[in-house]
Amino acid sequence: MKKALVMSPMDNVATALEDIASGEQVEARLGNKVETLEAREDIPFGFKIALTDISKGESLVKYGEAIGKASQPIKKGFLVHIHNVEGARGRGDIAKGGRIP
Amino acid sequence: MTFLGYERPDGSYGARNYVLVIPSSIIADEICHFVAGTRTIVTPMDATSGRSKSDRETIARVYVGLGLNPNVASVLLTPGGGAGGAQYPETAIEKLASEIERSGKRVEVLDIGKGDTMEIIGRGVKLAREMVHEASKLRRKPCPENHLCVGVKCGNSDPTSGIAGNPVVGYVYDKLVEAGGTALFGENTEIIGAEHILARRAVNNTVAQEILKVALETEERAKSIGQDVRTINPVPANIRAGITTLEEKSLGAIYKAGTKSIQGVLDYAERPEGRGLYFMDNWAWTFSIFIGYAAAGAQIVLYQLGGGGLEEDAVFYQTGSTVAPLIWCSANPRTQVLGGWNLDFYSGTVIEGKETVEEVGERLYATILDVASGTMTRTETLNHIDPNEVYTRDPVF
Repeated sequence: MKKALVMSPMDNVATALEDIASGEQVEARLGNKVETLEAREDIPFGFKIALTDISKGESLVKYGEAIGKASQPIKKGFLVHIHNVEGARGRGDIAKGGRIP
Repeated sequence: MTFLGYERPDGSYGARNYVLVIPSSIIADEICHFVAGTRTIVTPMDATSGRSKSDRETIARVYVGLGLNPNVASVLLTPGGGAGGAQYPETAIEKLASEIERSGKRVEVLDIGKGDTMEIIGRGVKLAREMVHEASKLRRKPCPENHLCVGVKCGNSDPTSGIAGNPVVGYVYDKLVEAGGTALFGENTEIIGAEHILARRAVNNTVAQEILKVALETEERAKSIGQDVRTINPVPANIRAGITTLEEKSLGAIYKAGTKSIQGVLDYAERPEGRGLYFMDNWAWTFSIFIGYAAAGAQIVLYQLGGGGLEEDAVFYQTGSTVAPLIWCSANPRTQVLGGWNLDFYSGTVIEGKETVEEVGERLYATILDVASGTMTRTETLNHIDPNEVYTRDPVF
């Protein structure tokens, strides 16, 4: 059983506390509350795993706060990072009238 | 609790006992090469040339603030670029000298007199040696911890920073503020996405609005260049270590500020009027942020390092603080292995489940008092002093 940490009850991601390989069982802990899920792909130490299915445009929540929006649907157990999340702040690319790349 | 400090005429207590040689120039640098116990700020020789009034005031604030820093026993002002004749009024040597003299410290202005640069350096070396010798007669004595002022930067952040490293610093900041000390945090880009949380902790609505304004203005500057800020900050090392967006980085970063109310927003290198927790509107860069904290009065600075994106340990040789000792901390087990002896403090036992944030925080607090009392930080064992860049904001002409 691999370990991951949840920072707030509202979070939909957990942070891997060790390298997790695809197919391994993960124990995502918030205080005394533990949720078990299966990693559907490799989650390196410090990276985030989705705790639920997240639809495109939905906010990713860590520390109980929005850290960005899903740029594509993310299934439970998958890696959450720049390939499927975009920031909502400091988007000069959008402010200039451009589209999200 | 107490630490052993050097009492200054203005009632402050230093953790070190340096003779500061400013402004930066070949003359200041060479004096410091020759004379033990001296420090200088290493910037380009003529740091003010072609800069706006506002930026020249910032540079002057750094020079004066470093002179006023409790870790400085006395100050030797030397001719810099353009000196000996025409100077901008904001950084004129006589003006800098009179502002530092108000602290009651010994302040000397090196007479340019006759002779070439080497002869001026020679006179400066003689004077600096005498000043260092005089400063060495002072003895440390116990002083209350409420005289301490600490500044922090979290850098090379990774997910261990938000989970453990910054919360440990936050515990220390709460303890220091409760004891009546002063705690400085900052990094105007790295509050974007978390500014609403900080604003709720402001001591009053004015300060809350100032915090929100810093975040908004920084974000507007970022947007004005027409790029996604994520291509700039989080920096590649953050992303490689698992931080996905600027918001995520910011939300982890603010843990270092603990939980106390924020007493005010300081401009870069501005001294706080009171004690307690303050936010400084500064740039996160190592070679800029620490001199800003030291100029605001910090005797000790902390570098809370993630390090998950590091490939080797070279980063530990950065000293970046001029007069305030730099304590390197990290909560990343891998960084501890990479850094080895170079790392001053390891807080990763929180992640390993061996210690609580409170237990590690107590150890870090004790480490800070130790360093304030004279124990060297690992980088202090090097003669190396990094070049510094004052955080200026206007275009140059």
